[in-house]
Amino acid sequence: MAIVETYQLSKTYKSGYFKKTSVTALVDASIEVRAGEIFGLLGPNGAGKTTFVKILLSIVRSTNGSAQLLGKPVGDVQSRAHCGYLPENHRYPAFLTALETLLFFGKLNGLQKKGAKDKARQLLEFVGLKEWSDRKIQKFSKGMLQRLGLAQALLNDPEVLFLDEPTDGVDPIGRKEMRDLFLRLKNDGVSIFLNSHLLSEVEMISDRVAILNKGALLKVGTLDEVRGGTTVHRIQIAGLLSPEQIKTIGLESQFLQSDETTTTISVKTDAELNRTIDLLRSWGIMIKSVAQQKSSLEDSFIKLVTNGNPV
Amino acid sequence: MKMLAMVRFTLFEAVRRGTLLFYFAFGTIIIAVFAIWLRKSPEDPSMIMLFGATVPGNINGLSSADFFLVMLFRQSTFWIIILGTFGAAGLMTSFLEKGIVELYLSKPFARWELFASRALGASAGVAANLMYCIVGLWLVFGLKLGVWHFGFLAAGLLVSYAFVCYFSIVSFVAIWSRNAILSIVFGLFFSFISIGLESREKGLYRLWDNTIYHRFLDGFYYLTPQLDGMLSNASRLIGQIPFSQEPAAFNPAPYFYSLGTAALFYCLSVYYFSSRDF
Ligand SMILES: Nc1ncnc2c1ncn2[C@@H]1O[C@H](COP(=O)(O)OP(=O)(O)O)[C@@H](O)[C@H]1O
Ligand SMILES: [Mg+2]
Repeated sequence: MAIVETYQLSKTYKSGYFKKTSVTALVDASIEVRAGEIFGLLGPNGAGKTTFVKILLSIVRSTNGSAQLLGKPVGDVQSRAHCGYLPENHRYPAFLTALETLLFFGKLNGLQKKGAKDKARQLLEFVGLKEWSDRKIQKFSKGMLQRLGLAQALLNDPEVLFLDEPTDGVDPIGRKEMRDLFLRLKNDGVSIFLNSHLLSEVEMISDRVAILNKGALLKVGTLDEVRGGTTVHRIQIAGLLSPEQIKTIGLESQFLQSDETTTTISVKTDAELNRTIDLLRSWGIMIKSVAQQKSSLEDSFIKLVTNGNPV
Repeated sequence: MKMLAMVRFTLFEAVRRGTLLFYFAFGTIIIAVFAIWLRKSPEDPSMIMLFGATVPGNINGLSSADFFLVMLFRQSTFWIIILGTFGAAGLMTSFLEKGIVELYLSKPFARWELFASRALGASAGVAANLMYCIVGLWLVFGLKLGVWHFGFLAAGLLVSYAFVCYFSIVSFVAIWSRNAILSIVFGLFFSFISIGLESREKGLYRLWDNTIYHRFLDGFYYLTPQLDGMLSNASRLIGQIPFSQEPAAFNPAPYFYSLGTAALFYCLSVYYFSSRDF
């Protein structure tokens, strides 16, 4: 079953009473998110990621296209009951403690008082805020607020979790912990929709990703599909190559001179790798290292965003 | 259930922000002052004294106690409404703050439910404080002076009703501008206008002798909650206002008109709130 399904979803924000200005935040975005997966929506700042999620939760109304959440058209109150949401830059009323916050939002989710209390304590432990239960939120760091936000999003045992830049402002260890939490949730059968501009983060945990730029979807697919699945071998040698030697090795390879003393040669296939090594050895050149390198999500992301056309 | 949680949270917010406590303390001081310094006159038990001075009686058939209550009521209710606005307007904008409103809107309830529970919570806070003062004073009069004036209690309920109607304007500006200060300023402006509109034949009409202008004032009068009309009629449940040209009889019309116009403004707020992006 599709958890989220959008068809040519578009949004143009209009603002100003006298001088109307309009911003196109999303254009014809068609995405399907499947049950049980971690789906990463990637894009630079201002790409329209937040807008996309807000439309799904009917915080923002789309101007065109259609969107379904858990099999019902967006705006359906009941389908929201099965969603968890960690907004970008969320805040909580500062006069509340962590526990009070969860109790209140638990009640807004329809939990009974007794159940809400147990659930809240359990979740504070889950996100590592147990010692902070009775502290005022005012005193919380950004990272702690993100954890509290995650606990809040989990109050109603959601089927799908929308996380908008969840590791924003969290330190590296905290990020790792949060990623582990996401994977645990995924194991428990929660589908996760993750918005982020941090590619490496998304790359580590997502099953499928979409790349969004200036409101347009550039690519949707599994990590390997989006990365392009290419591998390269990099050979690092001591010294420089002469123009004749470069010509002999072939135009297919790339030559990078890092400084006066080392050169890196990138070759694509295994056959080429072996032929190149034979040549280098026959010239008596010292090979310092040989490494296999997958092209990263970042490579294809930058390629797509700088010169990509929409899919 | 979820709406109730939001209503209760709104009140809780007023407590935590200190506004409700401030009003509660303020009301308690007023009740205490009257409880200590109001007494029966030793010479004439039908007369009452405050701070040692005798309150006049037998004016337009009003007893000394009635005279005191109706004057107090007439002089203070307008300011109580203003004071209530100061406390309640902030509750209509705090839930719209960026980063908080997204959370509320993602919860499983409709936007009108969210708006209604905020407005209800904010009004309930003001009404509770007002009724606390009214009942407190009523008890002081009953227990200390032996005057059990049920019209005074009823008038207090009507002031709460008037506040709920009047608050539709403040909420509308709050939802529209997301700015508590602006909604308070607008509310103040409107409440003064409403006094002028109530007696427009004697004042505003004379500024310009033009039929279109007069009908415009009439239209404005009937399209907005008639705050001053509701407050002055509430006081008539206690007794006729002394030294005044105002009619003596209680007129329920402003309450009906205002219910309609308040409903209109609340619906406009819901419509605007529901159609907007956050
Ligand atoms: N409420 C709004 N009113 C007007 N423009 C908006 C609003 N929200 C977002 N935008 C604009 O829409 C575009 C997409 O924003 P957003 O969805 O927040 O992107 P992202 O989350 O990918 O950074 C941006 O150009 C932003 O300025
Ligand atoms: Mg964003």
